[in-house]
Amino acid sequence: MQKTVVMKKRQYYRASGGLKLLLGFIFVILVIFPLVRMLAYIDGGSLSKVVASTSFPQAVKNSVLVALTATAITLVIAYALAMCVERSGIRWKNMWNLVLVLPMLIPSISHGMGLIVLLGNNGLLTRLFNLDGNIYGMWGIVTGSVMYAFPVAFLMMKDVLKYEDRSPYEAAAVLGIPRWRQFTAITLPYLRKPLISVVFAVFTLVVTDYGVPLMVGGKFSTIPVLMYQEVIGQLDFGRGAVYGVVLLIPAVVAFVFDLMNKDRGNSTYVTRSFEASTNKVFHLASYLYCGLVSLCVLFPIVSFILLGFARNYPIDLAFTVKNMEQALNMNAGRYLMNSILIAVLVSVLGVVISFITAYFTARMKSKASRLLHLIAITSAAIPGIVLGLSYVIVFKGSFIYGTIAILIMVNMIHFFASPYLMMYNSLNKINGNLEAVGKTLGIGRLRMIKDVFIPQSVATLWEMASYFFVNCMMTISAVSFLATTANKPVALMINQFEAQTQLECAAVVSLAILLVNLLFKLLVYWMKKILTGKKSKNTTVVKEGCA
Amino acid sequence: MVKTSHKLEAVSLVQSFDGKCALDKVSFQVQEGEFLSILGPSGCGKTTLLRILIGLLKPTEGLLYKDGVDITHTPAAERGMGIVFQNYALFENMTVLGNVEYALKIKKATRQEARSKAEAMIAHMGLKEHMAKKPHELSGGQQQRVAIARTLVLNPDVILFDEPMSALDADTRLMLRKELKKLQKEFGTTMIYITHDQEEAFALSDRIMVMEEAKVVQLATPEEIIDSPANDYVRTFVLQNLQAKIDSLVKYVR
Repeated sequence: MQKTVVMKKRQYYRASGGLKLLLGFIFVILVIFPLVRMLAYIDGGSLSKVVASTSFPQAVKNSVLVALTATAITLVIAYALAMCVERSGIRWKNMWNLVLVLPMLIPSISHGMGLIVLLGNNGLLTRLFNLDGNIYGMWGIVTGSVMYAFPVAFLMMKDVLKYEDRSPYEAAAVLGIPRWRQFTAITLPYLRKPLISVVFAVFTLVVTDYGVPLMVGGKFSTIPVLMYQEVIGQLDFGRGAVYGVVLLIPAVVAFVFDLMNKDRGNSTYVTRSFEASTNKVFHLASYLYCGLVSLCVLFPIVSFILLGFARNYPIDLAFTVKNMEQALNMNAGRYLMNSILIAVLVSVLGVVISFITAYFTARMKSKASRLLHLIAITSAAIPGIVLGLSYVIVFKGSFIYGTIAILIMVNMIHFFASPYLMMYNSLNKINGNLEAVGKTLGIGRLRMIKDVFIPQSVATLWEMASYFFVNCMMTISAVSFLATTANKPVALMINQFEAQTQLECAAVVSLAILLVNLLFKLLVYWMKKILTGKKSKNTTVVKEGCA
Repeated sequence: MVKTSHKLEAVSLVQSFDGKCALDKVSFQVQEGEFLSILGPSGCGKTTLLRILIGLLKPTEGLLYKDGVDITHTPAAERGMGIVFQNYALFENMTVLGNVEYALKIKKATRQEARSKAEAMIAHMGLKEHMAKKPHELSGGQQQRVAIARTLVLNPDVILFDEPMSALDADTRLMLRKELKKLQKEFGTTMIYITHDQEEAFALSDRIMVMEEAKVVQLATPEEIIDSPANDYVRTFVLQNLQAKIDSLVKYVR
């Protein structure tokens, strides 16, 4: 009997080892191999052509300038917002938290379009306030980029502020250290690391985006736009690849930095959280500021509604569905279904694969697991547009090209790292002795996964699904080069409608994406509530500091 | 192959990790119904030894017998032994009842009576009114009782404790100590208790095994250790520390 047990064990280890190898292999084939193929596509000719062109150095300059400016502005706006929501004792927090992240639920290209609708030549605000309507160029891009990047920074900052420890400030106050010294001696050193992470995240997001600059860039060209035009317009993959490498640089730097940043930190102590401030001026200012930013967020969305559903805005405000019909006539319905299908399948597949991977890397630690972990998060270092181009180069002409399957694949890889890390962190937090308990009680690993690990991470599983879903609905970067009329996701229609000066239809499509995403978020919210019960452990722990 | 029947017998156990020796030829015997403490500072190899005893780790060399039967290669679940960890390691998603009956429920032989057995065990541990609660709704002491109930319900004849009280406050420790002794008598279970706390070892044990740097330095009753410590190490680590504790308290006693 012992022999059979030993044999079973051996088979088991072989199976899990095999699965690890298979996962590693999948990531290598779907992440690293396409990238290498793309790099191999660069020849001396296209490289020298790109470098020698006048547009290239200008676009590099423009990209850096826009990204730096947008990052700086985003940081200030987001930090102030996070302070207001986390520290001021402001009411209706759930509402602010919802409204302020709405921009994350629509594609970047819609933000560009929102600017045109509001501030363009024929824009609503342009007419209302008699503005000059010139938003095209650097400031247009900066504004649009800030619009869609600030919620990301806001969420990250909010987390940083939420977990900041109050006790050093209390100690400093007891020691009689003045406020400004507290700021330089405690606040800044504490904020440094997370702040750098936010800077990198926002910078990468902005510098690799082509949605906003395509809409409102005008003659102000950036690298992603050049790359887009090169690949879509000229079908010159070689030159596209050169631009891709340029875009890879900031993303890889950010990735490596984040990796080093995280490995060192992460020590959690018992902390005392901050109480809401009682300062009335701060309180009032918070309402004003959050209200103002919310207005800026809601303005484009309201304008989409007006534009999309008024008979002839602003002359005739009567409700009409003609723009919706028009969009549907141009297959918006079918493409929306494409998007939803892709989003659902990526969510399911992504959640399953990231769970299995995270289980191996978090619960069965070994050298192979560490390597698998590194490969699994590598996709975070590849901008969507670069991933898209590398997939075109690898899969063009293959049976998978032009199908939904390739879009599912590219989206899953593109968005894999964040949900995977969510699960990795969640599984890491679960008691390290559970496997030992299982072994001594005679409960097998699979059984433990089903009865213990999955039930304990069910909230995270839904968060992951939500991340995959929302991002698949709104992404245009990784899919733009891979989509054909057969498999096109609906977000790509915004660009097309805008090019045909059918802003009304583009507005309808943007709203449709927003609506689907909101509905899915709502579903996730309810599912989490039902599955985890009302009592969340974390909230009781975090709010301990109100002595 | 049946040897002379000690409850548990370790013969020259060796464990090395990457060339570093974590256990150096450790041999000892434990008798039926005995309470044995393994005492030593962190890093002395006591946890490694415990993992070998329970079957979570294969020794590099040496043999392990239970009731005279070689169990060196027997899987953990088939050794008839249980383990209780310092951090409880309960299933957070299950209720107290769920935790205790889980292992019974998944085995065909015990499925039928799982519920009634689990309920009886929970009542026995004084946790009846907490049956439907989740672990995070319980105090540390209660959680540790659940962990003990989860182990006891499978009727192991040996239970290993891995510093089970180090996360608890002083009052709870004292109470749980008494309960452990009571349980040992009631169930006649052999208990092996790992600790770095001299006081705990002396209060609970029939015999104490003192370890230092991967080796056993003395295995004797508390009285023998006090009367004739095996070497300087036992004298300082065990006796002087114990004496210091007693001294610090004695001045308050009138």
